[in-house]
Amino acid sequence: MKIYDATIKKLVSHSLILICSMLFGCTTKVIVNGYFPAPVVNPLPLKVAVVYHPDFSNYSYIEKDEERQEKEIYMGKAQVELFSTVLEGMFEQVVYFDAVTPTNDNSIDMFFYPMIDEFQYNMPVETKINMFEVWIKYHLKVFDAQGNVIADWIQTAYGKTPTAMFKTREKALNEAMIVALRDVGAGIILRFNHIPEIKHWLKQRAQVSAFKKTNQKNQFVAAVPQTN
Amino acid sequence: MKHVLPIKQYLMLLVLLSINACTTVTIDQVKVTESELRLGESVVVIGRRTGSDYETEPELISCVGRNLAKGEQGINVIPESEFVDRLYPWFEARTAPNHIKDLHRLLRYDKVKQIFDEYNVHYIIWIDGNTEKTRSSGSISCSISAVGISCFGFGTWDSQAQYEASIWDYQTKLQIGKISSIAEGTSYVPAIVIPIPLIATVQTDACKAMALQLQTFFKRPNT
Repeated sequence: MKIYDATIKKLVSHSLILICSMLFGCTTKVIVNGYFPAPVVNPLPLKVAVVYHPDFSNYSYIEKDEERQEKEIYMGKAQVELFSTVLEGMFEQVVYFDAVTPTNDNSIDMFFYPMIDEFQYNMPVETKINMFEVWIKYHLKVFDAQGNVIADWIQTAYGKTPTAMFKTREKALNEAMIVALRDVGAGIILRFNHIPEIKHWLKQRAQVSAFKKTNQKNQFVAAVPQTN
Repeated sequence: MKHVLPIKQYLMLLVLLSINACTTVTIDQVKVTESELRLGESVVVIGRRTGSDYETEPELISCVGRNLAKGEQGINVIPESEFVDRLYPWFEARTAPNHIKDLHRLLRYDKVKQIFDEYNVHYIIWIDGNTEKTRSSGSISCSISAVGISCFGFGTWDSQAQYEASIWDYQTKLQIGKISSIAEGTSYVPAIVIPIPLIATVQTDACKAMALQLQTFFKRPNT
């Protein structure tokens, strides 16, 4: 009889745990966390000041639709990590500023200011394909040392991950987010030099520094007394 | 009093759970030129992630890699994630070379070439495909009572795993062959009190068959 009672109690408690996890497992929170490798690129000889606005570094997506299951997605920390890793690989020197503060000395060549414009996700139950999908739209701006806008462009990112047995929704969504963040990093690296305004600015900068070098050389030659 | 019956039931359950449903695997191979893998050389197995409605599963890629490295004929395989991370951003879904001529272009970067040489890569194996459920029928209903959970019904579904591997020779910069692996199977879940899954492991079987074929694809000097 004792064994029977114990078995009943065990089954009831297990069933209750199962029901509770089914009920409370619906509203979820995802804190994006992953590894971002350093890019294999030749760094540009620039000193860049990166400005992360608090809206960017603390970015979280809060779902307003009651029917959707993922309610809160925190991605601020992960995107700061990604941008820092990518930019430190892309430029010879990277420093971090709180705001775009124009300078007249040559301590900074460029300010890099990323903002997030839009975020969307799709769950397999919504699309009927066995895939978790994420889209992110970034608004990127670069300024010169005096605070004038050099370029201003949209960089989109896409990430997806397939469903798998024993993989939770949170884990799958986190993986899709990491793929999307790596994608935006790849996009910035490959596109940066090809954005017409930046290309033009880099070309002008190279011409100015070449002119300065020649000028310095000429001054040096002029300073040497001529010998007869 | 000894409780002999539950142990017997558990053993029966264990036996039933270890039974898999049948799978049929078809392998096709096209070999353009001879392929030789010398001592110390490695291969890298990477999944194609360009499909819009599917993605080559990372589990499949690691399964092929694991099986290729197994046994006396084991090949030195570089793990996909390690290779892709080392070469970031050149092997991401959107940036990975789709054709051998794209790899040519990529190798103009000294840093990329240096990493390839460091790993002593001879062959790159690109795997494209996925596993999907093609048909399903039946139903199982479960109820919770004071005694516990009990289920009744019957469910069945067909699965198909379809993968194609393209083999690139890093040294000659040529595509040297293709191997396709298609596995099909039907899974059954009869449920009388407890559900007994008889799963057709199509993905695992497609992976093992492909790895076995890839092992024979590369000639080793000692064989």
